Amino acid sequence: MCTSVKEANMPRIHIEEWPPYTESDLAKKENALLVVKEMANAALTAPFTGGVNGVEAEIAYGQKELEKIAREMERLAHENVPKKLRKPFLYEAVMVRESDAILFLGNFRARNTPMDAGCGLCGGEPDCSFFYERVLHFNGVVDPTDRSRKTTIKGPLCMLRAHDLGYALGSALWIASTHFVDSKPSYAAGLAARNLDFCMKSEVVVGILVGVAAKNPYADIPSDYHLTNMANQVDSLRKIAVITRQIPNHPYMVFDPARQVSDQKDEEE
Amino acid sequence: MAVYEGIAAANEYMLDVAKACAAAAAKAPTLTGQFDLRMEILTGEDLEPMIQVLETLGKGSAYQAHDATAFRAYKDEGILPPVLLLGADLTKPPMWNCGGCGFTTCGEYLNYVKKNKGVGIGAYGPSCLWKVIEFGIAADHACACAAMHRAEARIMFSMGAVSMFLGRLEGASFVLGLPIGPVGQHRWFDRKSWTKHLSYAQRTVTQMVGAPNLFFAFSGGGNPILKTKQRWWEDPTFMKIEQDEALVDKLAQDQADAYQKIMEYAGVLDEEE
Repeated sequence: MCTSVKEANMPRIHIEEWPPYTESDLAKKENALLVVKEMANAALTAPFTGGVNGVEAEIAYGQKELEKIAREMERLAHENVPKKLRKPFLYEAVMVRESDAILFLGNFRARNTPMDAGCGLCGGEPDCSFFYERVLHFNGVVDPTDRSRKTTIKGPLCMLRAHDLGYALGSALWIASTHFVDSKPSYAAGLAARNLDFCMKSEVVVGILVGVAAKNPYADIPSDYHLTNMANQVDSLRKIAVITRQIPNHPYMVFDPARQVSDQKDEEE
Repeated sequence: MAVYEGIAAANEYMLDVAKACAAAAAKAPTLTGQFDLRMEILTGEDLEPMIQVLETLGKGSAYQAHDATAFRAYKDEGILPPVLLLGADLTKPPMWNCGGCGFTTCGEYLNYVKKNKGVGIGAYGPSCLWKVIEFGIAADHACACAAMHRAEARIMFSMGAVSMFLGRLEGASFVLGLPIGPVGQHRWFDRKSWTKHLSYAQRTVTQMVGAPNLFFAFSGGGNPILKTKQRWWEDPTFMKIEQDEALVDKLAQDQADAYQKIMEYAGVLDEEE
């Protein structure tokens, strides 16, 4: 009796990665989301300069959410970034669509509250003059309210805080690979998401694409991947198979062209 | 056949863990696909110059004294751990023209670097934002690998900086030091060696000047009392903002002493001079 009660409360969960966004794939995506949530925790506990917090995390999940990010990446590819980044941005937009979820990490202190340690990273000087001479501030309190940008990222930034973002990314990536899910840090996805107000407090945001698939979605990338990817190949099959079937059509209830061939063979023998 | 004493064997094993950490850092994902990480593992006597320079710098700076004291104590105990140095030249941008460094284009940035590349208290600059982030990912992977091996470790600006100034990983613009070991619990936090270094009164003052808000009385009168003692309302202490000329001179002298130490080790100056 106990067993049957358990069975009633615990439905079977079938898991398979294909076709995308079927019930079986959605079950897989939910598993991937568990890892992405753990990655966010790992990012927050990474080693930081002086042990000070400064990282915010946000997760994008679901077909429509990922599609919006992919489209912003494609817009950036054509309208914003240098030519050498056009294809990488377009390729990574494909990878976003093939991902199960994306973890975005940003550092809000890099722009708003520098380390003020005179480390030398931002300007090569033993004080923080390079930064403070180039940002709006009152007695060292940065005024972040002017958010207009002349460049893709509004610099300069506190490089020691930006370095902290690397640790957050590193720990998140480490958790992903420890769970055997594939992952990839992406400038393109991070930039697109920042423009769409993910990690809203941060000027610099990086995305970590996370995907569960037999083939790592982020490796072995063929040329012109924005056109030659699996989704396009599948769509091209749908496009051409429908046309092709209309040529060798036949009244299958009463006629089998294969039978005709075998009848002829019988007669010859 | 042999019997090994466990703690000693575990401390010896830390060198292997340091090598595993180097492998993990080398495998770290990059953003630009063009990150040139360089590493060295320092052990034993090769760390002595770094500890001495840290001790000199520590005369004027608590965090450097904190690290110097611990390294010295572990050396005296015969359990000085290996240090994995991680470094890279962060002044080579990927030509993405993102603007994160404060320049409009990577070309403008490179022109500035050519003429104005300089050094702060622990790093050369200006740096490329993306190289700085990638270096963080690599350094984090080294730390994560140590953690996965249940090894004590702490990534250090101080040890990396003095190693760079003493000529390790030549050409790197930023170097970090990761001591791996000695075995135990929280060997680089809550340090035993530090117990003798600061008195209770010094610890109290450190907290008071670091976070004075906690000890402020009513501020509405315009001159808030800083509660510096148990019966703080009697003969109260007021906060006053003024330049500490003596401290400025002392810090300059401390810097000069440290610089001289570095020059001695670099062979530029004789120890006699």
